[in-house]
Amino acid sequence: MTTQTATAGLQEQGGTDFKKVAVWIASVGIWFLPLLWIDPTTYAVLTVAGLAMGMLIFLTASGLTLIFGLMDVLNLAHGAFFVWGAYVGFSLLGALQKVGWVEGAGAAQSISSVLLCLLAALVVGGLMGIVLEKMLVRLTYGSHLKQILITMGASLILVEILKVVWSPNDEVVIVPAAFQGSWDIMDVIITKFRVVAIVVGLAVLGGIQLVMMRTKLGIIVRAGVENKEVVETLGYNIRRVFTGVFCAGAALAAVGGTMWSIFKEQIHPAMGEENLIFALIVVIIGGMGSVTGSFLGAIMVGLAFNYVAYTMPPLALGANIMIMAVILLIRPTGLMGKE
Amino acid sequence: MESKTMQPTPVQMERENLRRVRFTRPALWVQLVLLACLIAGPLVVPSFRAMDVMTKVMIFAVVAASYDLILGYTGILSLAHVTFFGIGAYSMALVVFHSGQAAWYHIPVAMALAVGISGVLAVALAFFSLRVKAIFFTMMSLALAEFVFILGDQWHDLTMGEDGVSFSLPGIFSVNWSDGTFLGATLNGRLMTYYFILAASVLLFIGLVRFVRSPVGRVLKSVRDNEQRSTALGYKTFHYKVLSNVFGSVVASLAGVLFAMWLGYVNPTSVLGIPVMLNILLMVIIGGMGTLYGSIMGAAFIQVAEAWLPDLQKLTAWLLPHVEVAQRLAERWILYFGILFILVVIFFPKGLVGTARDVIARRKLRLAQRDHQPGL
Repeated sequence: MTTQTATAGLQEQGGTDFKKVAVWIASVGIWFLPLLWIDPTTYAVLTVAGLAMGMLIFLTASGLTLIFGLMDVLNLAHGAFFVWGAYVGFSLLGALQKVGWVEGAGAAQSISSVLLCLLAALVVGGLMGIVLEKMLVRLTYGSHLKQILITMGASLILVEILKVVWSPNDEVVIVPAAFQGSWDIMDVIITKFRVVAIVVGLAVLGGIQLVMMRTKLGIIVRAGVENKEVVETLGYNIRRVFTGVFCAGAALAAVGGTMWSIFKEQIHPAMGEENLIFALIVVIIGGMGSVTGSFLGAIMVGLAFNYVAYTMPPLALGANIMIMAVILLIRPTGLMGKE
Repeated sequence: MESKTMQPTPVQMERENLRRVRFTRPALWVQLVLLACLIAGPLVVPSFRAMDVMTKVMIFAVVAASYDLILGYTGILSLAHVTFFGIGAYSMALVVFHSGQAAWYHIPVAMALAVGISGVLAVALAFFSLRVKAIFFTMMSLALAEFVFILGDQWHDLTMGEDGVSFSLPGIFSVNWSDGTFLGATLNGRLMTYYFILAASVLLFIGLVRFVRSPVGRVLKSVRDNEQRSTALGYKTFHYKVLSNVFGSVVASLAGVLFAMWLGYVNPTSVLGIPVMLNILLMVIIGGMGTLYGSIMGAAFIQVAEAWLPDLQKLTAWLLPHVEVAQRLAERWILYFGILFILVVIFFPKGLVGTARDVIARRKLRLAQRDHQPGL
């Protein structure tokens, strides 16, 4: 009897493992499909672009998914953090331009100016996250409806303030000299900043995984996702963890915004909202609360967007929505979501 | 045994109660006075601006009420309501535009088209996202809304892109039509359109009220308040949620047809944009979720504010001519809507009508207690 149950358990274990492997193989394999109608060189360019875009979306989506998983808050103000990050980076680049660290700068100066921008965005986003969590989100724990409404209101206010501080029009972002231009590897043209975006994205994924898997804080956060009450019973102040995660998520979104602004070389106030749509799709595809899931989802969305945008531009977002619908039909909780 | 046939059910009792006070309720008189004002309005105040605001209040009251059916009565937060509204508006505009000459049958065709498309889309949306969690619905609907906006913006062959579509209405609704005066007001296409919209929106509103008061509406409220329990009682809650979502969306698309008729022009920002969605949401929140009548007050508030906010800008420019920040702040009226939004959600979660109902109920209770005390 006991052995039977044990074997059944083992088989079940094997089953889920197989399922996970199948999910991975399928989600990797499907991306070679566009080779049927796109020639290999273009395909390579699009793939790099898609990976870069996916990494940047992942920066926003990772915070969103963590906040949702731990705090059960759907934070619609995430797009506002993103766009604030973009504008802070834009202003700082403008200031650094006067010192001569942007255009016509050496490699070291370019790298340090980008790093400074990211740092500034990190600080501004983090502070905004803390303030928002302590002032508004805290009032509404437990009621999804109120949370959505309040974060939506906060997002409106933040974006409008942004329009007052800067302007409601498009702005052109100056890209530091070392990241301008592209490399040509066997006819495959790779824009330099795309590579930077991929590196930064991977670094953030690595950083999050390191914190989540190897530190005590990570253990508390993961335990909080599973069961908040037990974490509280064990004597940890879950409220403080909430604030921390919200702050980290906001900071990541702001960093994503800065990266995005340099990536696209232009910014406008509605970009936060547009990016939030991508991030939401990614979070749904990946399963809410799962960082690896949202990484996978972000890559899928970035690739699909670029492949489809190459063939039929207006349908690019539609393709992502289709992917989301199909995945929800097969796995209603998303790729890596809890059953 | 003997009481089994005689005892009325609670539902029957409440209906009986409602029937008894049917003509003595103050709410009825408020409604009739409001209707009379709307009918007499254009005849008494012959200003186009006032008529424009009144029409928009009527249309958006219906849109907000249909949204309230989904949000307040079913407890689902959809962000695609504006999409259905826009589908209605675009069906009207495109049917007339692409057939060249406006004919009277274009209006019913546009309505049928609006109902058809939005019905199918609402079923699809609900089917994909309501199965899992209510919160998925919010995300999916936001994605859908954005997608349809992009379609409206970029599918140039069909929708003329961001330039929008202008069209003229057929027959007596046409701007050029005019036929003497009646009770001192000029009978023209505008006035006819106004009365058509008035009649249609009153009908739609009554339809929504009937829907909410019907047995289905009761089940919806029970699903909102306690879904597990309604499931346990044997109701297929999923079906009911889909039904209310589809009904609300269809009504919104019909209101969109009316809106397009009134403006004679649609473009993606005015009928499909997320800001319009936020306005609708704000109307429902200000008026009070789950009250239906609150949406009339919310719509009136927002429309009046929007109509007169440009004046506020001019006032600021006149008062503080050299303070650039003040002018920039005055331009950003969505900022104030956002602040209002948060304040209402935190301090008056029941909105105007909900709070008023609470106050009245409390007073009634106090009166009843006072009447009861001497007998004790």
